[in-house]
Amino acid sequence: MSTLLEAKEVTKIYGKAGHPSLNKVSFRVAEGEFIGIMGASGSGKTTLLNVLSTIDTPTSGDIWINGVNLKNLNHTSAADFRKDNLGFIFQEYFLLDSLTIRENISVPLTLQKLPPKKIENMVRSLAERFGIASQLGKYPHELSGGQRQRASAARAIVKQPSILFADEPTGALDSSSATELLNTLYEANQELHTTILMVTHDVYAASFASRILIFKDGCIIKELAKHGSNRRDFYDAIAAEAARLDTER
Amino acid sequence: MNNLSMAFKNLRKNFSFYALYLLSVSLVITVYFAFTSFSMNSVMLEKISGDGRVESMCNIISVFLVAFVIFYMSYSNRFFLRRRTKELGIYALLGYRKSKMLSLLVSENFLIGCGSLIVGLVLGAIMHKGIVYGTTVLLNLSINNAEIHFFKLNAIKNTVVFIFLIMCVMAISNALFLFRTSLMDLVRFEKSAEKRMKFKKAPAIFGFILIIVGYGLALDIFRGSDSLWFTVGFYPTGLLTAMLIVVGTVLFIASFLPFAVQKSKRHKKTFYTETKIVTAPNFIYRIRSNAKTLIMLTLLSAATLTVSSVMALSLFYPIAAVARIAPSELEFRIEEEGQLNNATLLVSQNTSDDSVTYIQTDIYKVTASAEKLPMEYSVGTSKGSADNENILREAGFECISYSQYISLLQAQGRNDIAGKLSVLQDDECILVKYQPNADGSDETGSIYSLNINNGNIPLTVKATTLNNPISFANSVGTMIVSDNVYEQIKSGTALESSIISINGEVIEDNEKLFDDMSNLLNNSPYLQGHSHKVNEIMSASSSTFLLIGFLVVLFFIATGSILYFNNISAVSDSKADYEILSKMGYSNRKLKKILRKQVLTFFSIPFLFGLIDCIFATIVYKTGLMQNLLGNTITLYFPTMIAVALTALIYLIYYFLTVHTCYKTVLKD
Repeated sequence: MSTLLEAKEVTKIYGKAGHPSLNKVSFRVAEGEFIGIMGASGSGKTTLLNVLSTIDTPTSGDIWINGVNLKNLNHTSAADFRKDNLGFIFQEYFLLDSLTIRENISVPLTLQKLPPKKIENMVRSLAERFGIASQLGKYPHELSGGQRQRASAARAIVKQPSILFADEPTGALDSSSATELLNTLYEANQELHTTILMVTHDVYAASFASRILIFKDGCIIKELAKHGSNRRDFYDAIAAEAARLDTER
Repeated sequence: MNNLSMAFKNLRKNFSFYALYLLSVSLVITVYFAFTSFSMNSVMLEKISGDGRVESMCNIISVFLVAFVIFYMSYSNRFFLRRRTKELGIYALLGYRKSKMLSLLVSENFLIGCGSLIVGLVLGAIMHKGIVYGTTVLLNLSINNAEIHFFKLNAIKNTVVFIFLIMCVMAISNALFLFRTSLMDLVRFEKSAEKRMKFKKAPAIFGFILIIVGYGLALDIFRGSDSLWFTVGFYPTGLLTAMLIVVGTVLFIASFLPFAVQKSKRHKKTFYTETKIVTAPNFIYRIRSNAKTLIMLTLLSAATLTVSSVMALSLFYPIAAVARIAPSELEFRIEEEGQLNNATLLVSQNTSDDSVTYIQTDIYKVTASAEKLPMEYSVGTSKGSADNENILREAGFECISYSQYISLLQAQGRNDIAGKLSVLQDDECILVKYQPNADGSDETGSIYSLNINNGNIPLTVKATTLNNPISFANSVGTMIVSDNVYEQIKSGTALESSIISINGEVIEDNEKLFDDMSNLLNNSPYLQGHSHKVNEIMSASSSTFLLIGFLVVLFFIATGSILYFNNISAVSDSKADYEILSKMGYSNRKLKKILRKQVLTFFSIPFLFGLIDCIFATIVYKTGLMQNLLGNTITLYFPTMIAVALTALIYLIYYFLTVHTCYKTVLKD
């Protein structure tokens, strides 16, 4: 499969001579991959997500997504790039409170100036796939946490982004809602071929990914790949690695 | 750390948050202090009010002012308390007692109160000095400025005590709020207001209908004597109209607007756009929690606009009408022999300039017959129709010649009007109207047959005019006839009166000359002076306008800053929304557009409603309560337009200030 995202020697230093949050990080993500990023707090996960998603700029190094070097984007073209290529899911859902679920999911499509009829059809079919079709007319505060997060995922996926960034998407969910969401993301990855890059603390959530990058002190210290094994086995492998890292602390 | 130093640190850290609070409270205190200093300024009051009229007005206005300052300060206090509930919740979680939190709030309010008081007193003193100076120049008063102190001790005492009392009341209200709110509510206060909006059709449509009926009733005044304003009465109808519009406005904003916006979402082509999909639901969401504030602002802004518009109209109208009431700089009727010589002598003592013109107009009164004679023919002939019932006139046309008319217009500097006239034929006349006929009819083309000794002279009215060359004190029902006809009338009719009109730039605005002339003529009621009349109106009304001006300024500060606070608060609350929109790919330009639209909607509702209310109120006031000496010219509304334009300008300044702060709050770069 072709490379969708490539990070080369990406370094990010906050302040003048501070400790690097990212230290010459290089990796590739192929189209249709489901990548999990793991690591303790302060290991550089969120910084990585910010620089990959054009919200922050690296101190040095290059990032290419879809062949575009992010370094060459100014403020406006970065916004356009996000509009056309990136989707986001956050731990806190970040749905717009004043908009109904239907309107929330429609926003990225209106930004792409699609005709209303098409927007409505796309929203409906995705809502059905995500099991929130009956909630479309409601407001976010009328939904449970799990439903809100699925709505948030639908909003991120509806425009069929090149890559979906998920930042601790299950962090605020109970275990059954978390499983539902992870299954939904897994299906989206398998059936819609959405490339996903998910930051998580949770070994269970990480086991849905096809490859795991483990971060420590701004560097990738380990890479785990599923390689056809089932999710249960992959879970055990990740858990074993996590335990090993814990003893090394 | 004690409370005072904690409060001080809090204020310093959140300076930008508190700066506007401090500024707006300072401005309110400025106006209050300036007003109090003015109403306690005995030197000034002595000059502008001999009969205690201004003092009693001051008392009435001070009631409004006090009520308003209390309302405004408690509104701002409540507003800032709401914004800080989460922070107070954290204090509570950390183990602060409510009494400790209260003393923190009181300390902060005390610091802000002291700061605003100092700024307010200094600015208020400057404003007071400015008002005194302005009034002195405007009314030509002779005042020894050294007698007026910069700070008046009584006014300071009054203001300090008043603000202190308000702060005590606020402390009590904050205490009630704190002790009634549970810890859970404190922590979750900002989230607790989320309830789903219900869109009710009936009140929405009812509100719309009420407003339309209210405006319809206002326009009914144009039906003249058939309208409800005359048949039922001006005040009951006015009250009904005001009530319809107020209740209609309440329902319109609370029900109709959200209902209409919700309906507009059905129009998918316009709704599914990058801006509308965010702004329309946001509007509905915000109006749910802000309907009360918006209604209050709308009514406040309608009142402000109406008061300033009516004020501008009632100051401008009488001054504009002076051109009709006293067209010449000095004008009198010769009642005794030698008066003209004495008057000429008096004028020449005042000025050596020979550009002063003296025109004597001999007026001849002629009776006439016609199917229907104009109102002016018989006005003032019976008790009830005369302004001064001691001087009744006899019915008739008061004739002057065409060439006299032209000379008078030219002497009065009205060359443009004189230039437009064409010479009268012997069978033509021009009729000077007292005011346009209420039913809109006009006498042009009517034929009046003048009765003179040796027969009748039928004259056709070539035109009617509102440009009377002689004041109403000296001639009503003036008819301008050709020079030939005038000679004919002169030979067969007794002289009614001889009027002297004195004009010239050099004698303008000379009160001493007018006083001397009045003495010379034994205080004759027939003496009229243009500048004198203008000065008389200015000094009679300016104090009223000045005092109302205080209220208008206060209203503006309130409306503007409440709108500012409200918008900034809404935008800060939804800061996360803008962040996510930015991540979704909304550029800063698009986010700015959304912000502008949201702020503009909230600014335009009070302004536009206020404007429409003001237009209707001004129409009713002008048509129902004012004389129609000047006819319906557009220039009459010029001061109203200026008042509206000024209001728009103030709104615009507040709008840009608000938008700018919103940008700073939301956008990163």
